[in-house]
Amino acid sequence: MNGLLVKNGGLLSSIQDSGRVGLCDIGLTQSGAMDELAFGYANMLLGNPLNTPCIEIAYGGAIFEVKGEISLVVCGAQIELTCNDISLALWQTHTLKNGDILKFDFASEGNFAYLGVAGGFDIRKEYASFSTCIKEGLGGFEGRKLRKDDFLRTPHKIFKERRKLKNELLPTYPKELNLRVLLGYQENCFSKESKEIFFSSTYTYDGVGDRMGYRLSGESIKSNRDGILSEAISFGSIQVPPSGEPIILLKEHQTIGGYPKLGALITPDCFRLAQLRSGGKVTFEAIELQEAQEITKKFYQAFR
Amino acid sequence: MNFEVVLASENAFILYFGDKIDPKISSEVQKSYQALKRVNIKGLQEIVPSYASLYIQYDLFLFTYQEALELVKATIQKATCKEQKEQKIIHLPVYYGKEVGLDLEDLARAKELSVEEIISLHVKEIYSVYAIGFAPGFTYMGQIDARLQTPRLANPRKNVPKGSVAIADRQTAIYPLKSPGGWNILGRTPKSMFDTTYEGLSFLHVGDLVKFESINKNEFLVLGGEL
Repeated sequence: MNGLLVKNGGLLSSIQDSGRVGLCDIGLTQSGAMDELAFGYANMLLGNPLNTPCIEIAYGGAIFEVKGEISLVVCGAQIELTCNDISLALWQTHTLKNGDILKFDFASEGNFAYLGVAGGFDIRKEYASFSTCIKEGLGGFEGRKLRKDDFLRTPHKIFKERRKLKNELLPTYPKELNLRVLLGYQENCFSKESKEIFFSSTYTYDGVGDRMGYRLSGESIKSNRDGILSEAISFGSIQVPPSGEPIILLKEHQTIGGYPKLGALITPDCFRLAQLRSGGKVTFEAIELQEAQEITKKFYQAFR
Repeated sequence: MNFEVVLASENAFILYFGDKIDPKISSEVQKSYQALKRVNIKGLQEIVPSYASLYIQYDLFLFTYQEALELVKATIQKATCKEQKEQKIIHLPVYYGKEVGLDLEDLARAKELSVEEIISLHVKEIYSVYAIGFAPGFTYMGQIDARLQTPRLANPRKNVPKGSVAIADRQTAIYPLKSPGGWNILGRTPKSMFDTTYEGLSFLHVGDLVKFESINKNEFLVLGGEL
């Protein structure tokens, strides 16, 4: 039988694709890969269809044993990766044989790495997606993170040539990010002064975050509303609770919520933020709708 | 129908029909939501109604912002010209026993009402489903009688049992799955709210009309309720 046997699930490893679209109206969050750039490159290198599920390995620590023969790739966070204790390069494909032990150390730069296999994993879609939604216990592998003795079947699909991501495409995971914001939602409830503070301050990510979203610390900003009537939340929304410290909502965010929102990060910048390590710094810059759309379209066109 | 349009992200916008919980506003949201769901336009990826707003996420590769907005506006206008057919009321059995209505007695004391009065105030209204969120199938319904209006618990429970029927402010809701929660629990329904065998996965949908029916313990158990 061809597949990957989980010897150690690490801190948080789960099956993800690009997410579950169209069910927010019944309360199902979109979920999906926290960094679609690394996820997209993994599938591109393997020649998989764009939305083929990968194992998202958060922070590292996972160990797998190969059963049969598998062509695979690991893209994303800088992680010391070994096969039978011999170093293995990220961002390029490898073919591993029966009994090989694939081991992830802990990430030194970035948070999320994607382990993709040629042909994808043999699992069923749930609610039109392969993505695991851990909070609700659905999708992916039994609706949960991977743990010891889970067996992920893969088709026997091998390719001989080694494919490698071009150097100029290799992402970096800097400790400081400038993130682009499209103002919207309740932006009018924030005073001119509050917006100036927001766009001129440096915020810190203290590691208070998960797949739902990241809370940032720094200069607090105030809206003239403590709460609003609950309404739908977009991916990347900048939510400002009464404490005044912004929370950026990411892949597994709740579908509706009642805190005022200043707007949203553009999609590719949500993926950059997802890879920011605890202690990392963030500044914000406002951009216009047309520019935001062009950047996001260009991002996805790279994989088309 | 009047609404304000505000950007929500580079591929989403939100229509505001008002800024308060009001049956008239909510009915406009629901009509618009149902019209958009009915025509099922490829490229409108998410259509998410709430109390006074309707959120639309669209595919950037199929529509510009203006195109998506015009399409949504046209669909909504067409729908409102048509007469709405009369809506069926969904009756939901609830067991209001003390062992499942965890906050009944505290609430009775706080409101200076008997437990029976609380139950009769809760079952007499026909509620409208305003929004679904927080968790899959978690339905926000309103409005409850002003005499029952009560804040959320100061200390939310870590585990609210599945099927719990609860109130907070002027709203009532059902917890579809065991989850943490801070609403005041009045009873429990044996009916499953979220199930893969349901069309649309959720038993209730935004715009549905709901009336609770008080049942006894035996009926609750016969209907598959769990204590």
